[in-house]
Amino acid sequence: MVEEKERLPREVVAMRVAKELPDGGFVNLGIGIPTLVSNFIPDGSVVFYHSESGVLNCGPLAEEDEQDIDLINAGGQFLQMVPGMAFFSTVEGFAMIRGGHVDVTVLGAHQVSATGDLANWMLPERGVGNIGGAMDLAAGARQVIVAMEHTDRNDGPKVVQECSYPITGKGCVSLIVTDLAVMEPTPEGLVLKEVAPGWTVEEVQKLTGAALIVPPDLREYEL
Amino acid sequence: MLQGKLYGSPQAAVADIPDGSTILVAGYAGYGIAEGLLAALLELGSKDLTIIYRDGPYSDMGLGALPSIEKLVSSGRVTKLISPIPYSPGSGSDIEECWQAGQLEIEIVPQGILVERLRAGGAGIGGVFLPTAIGTRFESGRERRTFPQGEAVLELPLKADYALIKVAEVDTLGNSIYHGSGRNWAPVMAMAARITIAEAERIVEPGELDPEAIISPGIFVNRIVAAT
Amino acid sequence: MPPRLDELTMARRAASELQPGQVAALGSGLPARVAEVVPNGAAIQLLSDGGALGYSLTGGADSAGGPSLCGPNGLPVALEKGGSVVGMADWAALLRGGHVEVAIVQPARVSAAGDLLGWTTAATPGLFAPGRTVDLAAGGCKVIAMLPHIGSDNSPNIVAESIPVADGRSCVSMVITDIAVIRVEDGVLVLSEVAPGWRFDDIAAMTGAPLSPSGDLKEMAPNLEHLKTERPGKVFPDGPSAITDLQDGATVMIDGFGGPGGMAHHLLVSLRDRGTKGLTIISNTIGIARIVNFGTPAGKLAIDHSILVENGQVAKAIATYPVSPSASRPSTFELAYRRGEVELELVPQGTLAERLRAGGAGIYAFYTPTGAGTLIAEGKESRVIDGKEYILEQALTADFCLIRGHKADTLGNVVYKGTSRNFNAVMAPSARVTIVEVDEVVEAGELAPELIVTPGIYVDRIVIRPEGFSPYE
Repeated sequence: MVEEKERLPREVVAMRVAKELPDGGFVNLGIGIPTLVSNFIPDGSVVFYHSESGVLNCGPLAEEDEQDIDLINAGGQFLQMVPGMAFFSTVEGFAMIRGGHVDVTVLGAHQVSATGDLANWMLPERGVGNIGGAMDLAAGARQVIVAMEHTDRNDGPKVVQECSYPITGKGCVSLIVTDLAVMEPTPEGLVLKEVAPGWTVEEVQKLTGAALIVPPDLREYEL
Repeated sequence: MLQGKLYGSPQAAVADIPDGSTILVAGYAGYGIAEGLLAALLELGSKDLTIIYRDGPYSDMGLGALPSIEKLVSSGRVTKLISPIPYSPGSGSDIEECWQAGQLEIEIVPQGILVERLRAGGAGIGGVFLPTAIGTRFESGRERRTFPQGEAVLELPLKADYALIKVAEVDTLGNSIYHGSGRNWAPVMAMAARITIAEAERIVEPGELDPEAIISPGIFVNRIVAAT
Repeated sequence: MPPRLDELTMARRAASELQPGQVAALGSGLPARVAEVVPNGAAIQLLSDGGALGYSLTGGADSAGGPSLCGPNGLPVALEKGGSVVGMADWAALLRGGHVEVAIVQPARVSAAGDLLGWTTAATPGLFAPGRTVDLAAGGCKVIAMLPHIGSDNSPNIVAESIPVADGRSCVSMVITDIAVIRVEDGVLVLSEVAPGWRFDDIAAMTGAPLSPSGDLKEMAPNLEHLKTERPGKVFPDGPSAITDLQDGATVMIDGFGGPGGMAHHLLVSLRDRGTKGLTIISNTIGIARIVNFGTPAGKLAIDHSILVENGQVAKAIATYPVSPSASRPSTFELAYRRGEVELELVPQGTLAERLRAGGAGIYAFYTPTGAGTLIAEGKESRVIDGKEYILEQALTADFCLIRGHKADTLGNVVYKGTSRNFNAVMAPSARVTIVEVDEVVEAGELAPELIVTPGIYVDRIVIRPEGFSPYE
């Protein structure tokens, strides 16, 4: 067992992901850590948010006293009306996703494999799960970034050689950002790009279910 | 900082269209044609173009639509046209002459099939089984299959490098609305192109358009130029 | 020989064929002239691929200053009250999806088998450009051909032999010429009407295929009186009265993305009260608003699909997000599923939307990359197209669709509000009977035609949500 060391807070993971979003790009954020990403867009950058609920250019969440059931995001949270919004039907919303018009999606995951398979829709022990928009995002967004904790509640690895849970998409993840590391799935295997401050490669490897390829330019987590 | 979508002139908006591009040109019977962009494309001189559009000049009706495509063809810039009806029959179009002289390839696609192939391209669909072409010459070379609804043939998606569309109003984020028959092919073509360039009658700030009224959300519109 | 009919008389004869409530798609040439003879305010709607649904040459009384629109010949038209603007993809979907009752085309030639060769196809030899003709011919509706009986060289335009470059096969059911009306009945041409003064023998001599006289052969007498009625009303007094024919075992689409927005709560309650059993419900969730808060007031429960599940009415759900996000707070559906009382077909959200669109737009099946290589792909054809893996998904339709709009006009044109549009607009075209629950019904012509999201052609019944109705109980 690795000794209890401090991992990065969720906000820092989100901040690291935010660096990956292209200026002026269209981005779809999943629930959990991904939702936090919108708080950390670098000054001077603009990102447009797409939601499967049928709205483009989503802005901040609505205050409690101005909630409108006709203005929600895909997580069911109430949105504020902001200038430049556009409403559309679900079929158009997913044409945007599948058609490659959404530049980046940031999703949470139960497991991600070394070759970029994503499992995030079903825990086998429950026997039933929700797909929602996840499979379309996995298959359609130009870039799929996973933002999650490095391990599950029992410190079991979530980054694995092969997913044991039912997958959402094959080879779709291009970057994994966790509270310990930044990793890039490649056909050759999982490349460790960055590690959290204070953590060694060996410590991260012990909590990872796939062999990490350590490149010469390995860096500390960059914000 | 975000590079805005606004371009100062039609010339600037089309300046990077290289030789060999596939270009969608929206328009129907003279409505909704980005004449300024087409003129700029002619001026630019890109060659070996494939142009996908609905119809040719309706000269018999006095609308004078799409002379720019005729000019692009007659000046030898176009290798191929894909259209349901590339010129008005009997109008003595340059397009017809160039085609008969073997200087131009034309692929005829019925318009309902063409629009669905473009939509498939824009929506990331790998192919659609449509009943339309069954029993006609448009079935040839295509896979036919029986479904509970009946017979259908597989139509493959069409995508393009650029789309030139005309919009009535656009905000600076690219959210667009059309007027009347000006809508026609533009919403689908805007989806199916890598870069969609909108020539706008009116450009407004975000928030000035009713978000319920927007037909082409800004995600589909990459460049904006004012119509002159 | 007696005089031949002029174009407008032919147009009047074609218009006489239309029945109140129908939608007719017009081609260019002679068919476009039908718009000149249909009386303003007639109980039918004309569709032009120029983007006008419900138009006439001059439009209804209040349409001045409306959108600039053209007919199939490129000439200006105006919307009638309750007309709407559609794009090219909508036009194709309306035809292919079987939403248009009559298509009127001008062929250069028609065969005894009902094959047709469009005029533009014939006028572009070697190239054979059909424009819209193939789509009109394949629309799955009644196809009427309008053309001169003989060509300028006196050769017959109606022929016995098969047409090699036909734009449609066995599609024409009626031919209206400048001297006759001929019905195509299983490959046999039956002369049913003659122009004033014309005799069977003379017409038969000018026809290139065998012609039989109809038992009730008569003189052509176009009559448009039957179109001068009100279009049948679609507004029902309340939810229960709108679903009296919704039977056990029906497949029903009900939206509601997740929360209470966009859900036809009054219709849902009406369906629960009706007690219809064995339902297959197509929806995004099958009731999670009840367990996920979504702004529900304290002490209340959100009305959602759960009320049907609780009442034992649901046999199967087709859904994308069927259970609670939290395993510790299972939804009514999840509990019933665990007890084996309901079936579940789990579908990715975008695939569900696309399958519904396909159902409404006459697309039989399509390849999508979504779900390739996952459990969803099991039992489905997988295919690599252009280097990418896709799976084949089938169109989805239903018997009934219960949707939630914001406002409708009396003809069923619907606008939505914000994110509550979502699946509602996608489902509306894909059910046999679509019922919309709205906050307000206005007169035809009061909704801006450019803003109409779901044209009335897709909506069969309208119910006003009762005043003070709460989505919570």
